[in-house]
Amino acid sequence: MIELLASHYTYVLVFVLLGLGIYMTIASENLVKKLIGVSLFQTAIFLFFISMAYIEGGSAPIVPHAENPGELMVASPLPQVIVLTAIVVGIALTAVGLALVIRIYAEYGTLREDTLREVRADE
Amino acid sequence: MVADIRPLAAVLVSAVAIVLIIASHRRPNLREGWSVLAALTKFGLVVSMLPAVMDGTVFRWSLKESTGIQFLEGIDFALRADPLGIFFALLASFLWIFTSFYAAGYMRGLSEHNQTRFFASFAASLSAAVGIAFAANLVTIFVFYELLSLVTYPLVAHNEDEEARIAGRKYLTYTFFGGGVFLLAGTVMIYWLTSLVSEGPTLAFEAGGMDALAAAAQVEPVYAQAAFFLLIAGFGVKAALMPLHSWLADAMVAPTPVSGLLHAVAVVKSGAFGVARVILEVYGPGLIYDLPLDVPGIGEVGLNIPVAIVAAFTLTAASIIAMRKDHLKRRLAYSTTAQLSYIVLGLSLLHPYAIVGALFHIPAHAFAKLTLFFCAGAIHVETHTDYISEMAGIGKRMPLTMSAFTIGAAGMAGLPPIAGFVSKFYMLIGAGDVGGSYWLFAGALLLSAVLNIAYFWPVVYTAFFESEDRHDAKPLLEFPEGGLIQSYATTSDDESVAADGGEPADTSGIENEPHAADTDDYEYAVDKYPSDHTTADTDAPSQPTDARATETSTRDGHDDHDDHDESVAAVDHHGDHDDHLTGGPPAGGWPRRSPRTESTWLMLAPIAIIATGAVVLGIGPDYAVFLELATRIVEGVFGMPFEQLGDMPFGELMTEVTN
Amino acid sequence: MSSAELLLPLLIAAPLLAATLPIVLGLWTDRTGWPIAAVTTTGLFGAAVALASAVYTGTDAAPITHELGGYPRTYGIQLVADQFSILIALLVTAVATGVLVYTRQGGPRGNTFYTAYLLLTGGLLGITLTGDVFNLFVFLEITSIATYALVASGDGPESAVAALKYLILGTMAASMYLIGVAFLLMATGTLNMIELATAIPAAERPTLIRAGFGFIAVGFATKVAQWPLHTWQPSAYQQAPDGVTPLIAALVSTASAYAFGRLIVTVFGVDYLTTMPNAATIVLTIGCVSVLAGTALAVIQTEVKRMLAYSSVSQFGLVIAAYGVVIAGSSETAFIGAAIHLIGHGLLKAGLFLGAALVARSYGARTVDEYAGLAKARPVVAGAMAVLLLSLVGVPPGVGFVGKWYIALGAVQSELWPVAAVIFLSTMLTLAYAARLLEKMYFTPPAALDWPRTTEPVATDGGDTTVSIGMLAIVVIAAVGAVALGFAGGTIAGLLEPFLMEVFN
Repeated sequence: MIELLASHYTYVLVFVLLGLGIYMTIASENLVKKLIGVSLFQTAIFLFFISMAYIEGGSAPIVPHAENPGELMVASPLPQVIVLTAIVVGIALTAVGLALVIRIYAEYGTLREDTLREVRADE
Repeated sequence: MVADIRPLAAVLVSAVAIVLIIASHRRPNLREGWSVLAALTKFGLVVSMLPAVMDGTVFRWSLKESTGIQFLEGIDFALRADPLGIFFALLASFLWIFTSFYAAGYMRGLSEHNQTRFFASFAASLSAAVGIAFAANLVTIFVFYELLSLVTYPLVAHNEDEEARIAGRKYLTYTFFGGGVFLLAGTVMIYWLTSLVSEGPTLAFEAGGMDALAAAAQVEPVYAQAAFFLLIAGFGVKAALMPLHSWLADAMVAPTPVSGLLHAVAVVKSGAFGVARVILEVYGPGLIYDLPLDVPGIGEVGLNIPVAIVAAFTLTAASIIAMRKDHLKRRLAYSTTAQLSYIVLGLSLLHPYAIVGALFHIPAHAFAKLTLFFCAGAIHVETHTDYISEMAGIGKRMPLTMSAFTIGAAGMAGLPPIAGFVSKFYMLIGAGDVGGSYWLFAGALLLSAVLNIAYFWPVVYTAFFESEDRHDAKPLLEFPEGGLIQSYATTSDDESVAADGGEPADTSGIENEPHAADTDDYEYAVDKYPSDHTTADTDAPSQPTDARATETSTRDGHDDHDDHDESVAAVDHHGDHDDHLTGGPPAGGWPRRSPRTESTWLMLAPIAIIATGAVVLGIGPDYAVFLELATRIVEGVFGMPFEQLGDMPFGELMTEVTN
Repeated sequence: MSSAELLLPLLIAAPLLAATLPIVLGLWTDRTGWPIAAVTTTGLFGAAVALASAVYTGTDAAPITHELGGYPRTYGIQLVADQFSILIALLVTAVATGVLVYTRQGGPRGNTFYTAYLLLTGGLLGITLTGDVFNLFVFLEITSIATYALVASGDGPESAVAALKYLILGTMAASMYLIGVAFLLMATGTLNMIELATAIPAAERPTLIRAGFGFIAVGFATKVAQWPLHTWQPSAYQQAPDGVTPLIAALVSTASAYAFGRLIVTVFGVDYLTTMPNAATIVLTIGCVSVLAGTALAVIQTEVKRMLAYSSVSQFGLVIAAYGVVIAGSSETAFIGAAIHLIGHGLLKAGLFLGAALVARSYGARTVDEYAGLAKARPVVAGAMAVLLLSLVGVPPGVGFVGKWYIALGAVQSELWPVAAVIFLSTMLTLAYAARLLEKMYFTPPAALDWPRTTEPVATDGGDTTVSIGMLAIVVIAAVGAVALGFAGGTIAGLLEPFLMEVFN
């Protein structure tokens, strides 16, 4: 168990981060904080991919146009490509989310979900 | 099997008529013309197939063979005109002809709203009913069965008031539970069961039962039994088997032609017809007899026994309930419930004679019950009377109608020479021939005949032998022989309450009031002015009379033929409560009318023809085609000539069929 | 490289590229959105039909594939048009074209709307045609972002709240899926669906695969709006502009449900999932509970659009339950049922929401009570909606019946009796809310209600209340299509046959 923790501690950290993100999304009444929670959650997934690809002693997967390529130790490039793409997607989502939050704030004058519920119930 | 387009054409005729009916919604005469034309064409198409079918030809139309479209994987959408299908289609299309005349008279007589929707739905119902008749497999019959539930819904909810809507909801719930849940589940299970053996998968009907199913039942007997009961329950809903019957009485809020043709012939019979298909051509008598159902404490019994018990219970219980109904159409509805159980009972006895009786009871009951409903409708249109307790002496007003009613009632009770006698006779022979515990079912049949008289005789008696002011007298109990020339002044209010158990709140509240008032009037009036009862009634105007007068003035008098009676014109035909206030004899008692003037010919002619039909079926069943068709069907199921069937012992017959 | 193969990248790239045109051209003129969208979607539909004919009439019944950029599928991205995916592609392009007929007059207007519209179409086609699990995530997100924007384009602030709710839940769902993909990648080292299909059974650490399936199932349960993760869906459908709801209700969840089915049969493989502990039970439970809960919630709704939204919860419950049957019983039949129900439900919901939009526009009715007397005032719309509703209930010969037939047959064949019972009962449950609306439309006189109607219809989008022939026609076409597809049960099953042979061996 200890050994597992020692060698796989990044996974543990990643999942703690995932939990934090979900908790923040659910528990926080502030809409912006909710979005931060979502971003945190996504970032944890990115880290998960990265740590999955890591090989001890491997370098970045930039393969030089060089001699014996078979002996080169590089991390798997596939997850890194994926993460690059996912980061872009994540940014787009955050942008759309924030735009919506701005619109809600302009209409209702609040960022808190509980206040928002009251305001909408009154209407 | 001969490929032929006629089964499809017979189904589609009235579907085409729907379009024409809707298109000519501005011209009522043309619209009703289409109805009649479609009815005649449909009947003509069915009759044109009849001789060949009697000779053993089966006409078949299949979607796949004619267009290449596969309805569902492994299942064809197919129609076929076999003896059983022709039997039902012939009946429905023949009676539709007269019903379309009658419906025209009825709807116009009441100036009903939304007549176009009514006639369109009516035509659609007939399409679906003939589709059920000609369906060649369980999925096809399911399609039409669901469509029938659907297109009859607008007819039930026709009045668009709260009562009609509730009845419509109940109707949809029951019929879709039967069709969409039980029947579909049963069909799916049959398909699955037959796919377990090498013959299947199949759903096509085969006279005497599907071979694949018989083989599958050996593999999975429990599921085969479950599927049987699912199918019976699915069709049993429309056949109004208890405890799934209560939609039928509520559906009586529909206009009477609907109650007549659909809720006594096409719709409910489609349920009974479906039971016939299941028993005769899906499972087959042999398989049903051989699939033992292990009942704790009794031992093994055939699958048919529970069905027979339910049917026997239904026919007894419904007859007893019918006696307590004061609303004429509701009494007829419970009578329908009981009579349909005859059919189911006869089929579930499995004996060839009982099956012939049951099949022949389909037209026998149809003719008689249609007569009764037509009469009830004619009374409603002419006098707006719906409650039996208000019909005292109505025989004077509507002599022909009430005579026809008497014939129908006699047919229901199974008195010779009406058609009902023949069918019950065969069923009794069948039940007796099997013997054993089947005597119980024979006993139920006989008991119910007595009960039939018990609930129909009061109507006839009230109509012909009571006078308006003494309609609730009880001569048999309270008076010396021959009765007394005296009003029943001494009877209390309670006894004057109509014996309708259906709506206690109304009977205690609304109904009681005018009756109490009337009773007082009668007492006073008859004592003082024995010959002039009218004076008293006008002296003490009650609330409803006022309402009548005011309403009358606001209405455009559409009832040209009953201008004698102001109260009638004021009746709001929606719902029973209003009827009850305004129905009943007019102030001066029923005027005497001759048969020619009692109503329009549009209604009287159908009544007379259908009643005659009931008698003809009873006097000469050998010459009317139905009995011969029924024996053909049974011969097909058992695979031997009908004459030999009677000689063979029951047990042997059943094993014979299985092999 | 055949010409049909080139259609594959074109189907995805064309709408995405065309999405930029309304904005670019919007610099000069304002009214370019609709023509561009119309031309694009019509072209897409044509391309989908051409591709479908190539797939279905192909001699060897092999799927048409295209490797993007020429990279082999082991690490490149592959697009696949097989018998299953092309069916959904046809639905997507057809509905996208049809809804445009409504939006031409019914709105919403503006070039940005059509940009989002085309982005959505492109994303949906991407989900349908991709053969790569990560690429699927990207297209899911493209679809989602376009949907959030479309939902938020509704009038009033409520739509923004609904869109944000959708965004948070939708992103969580997609992220869950991504975690699942991460687990798969960890266990197998590949992302291509075909490669995964062979790599997964051979994986050394099945726990990773199981965890991956768990995350993927939760992600899709949210995307498909299964109870209790459905909460985003009713408010999103209700608050979206009337012209948008038909599109997203018909396609967005359908595409997600398709993707889930694709993962089950192609990636994990039915045989593998059957042996996975609890997989069948979980999927079956999600589906069955959603059928029951969705209907119960639909019955108590007063808003028509909201009621239809909850109805989607229960109808997708049927699809998910069918997937459960596929897993539990290796049932080909249930899978045919799921495919047909996906198509059928998409068509029905598109028609129903278009009908609801028409009614709201011309009759001003939005709640069930306000539909009273609709049959008299708007006979054509009422008739078409009645046909669609009844088809949804499963009255034959409607497409709803066909799907239900196959699903129920699959459940019975697999002897999953409780599931079969739920499926049969779902007819009654659907009837409960469908009949409510039918009764209002046909058997309740409008006079019973005291509120202004035809005299001053409530304008929803732009104040225009006219109904063009085209709008009416598209609803009627949907209704006719629903009945016509009711006869196509055998045909569709026949078309899917090669695909089923492949995945069910």
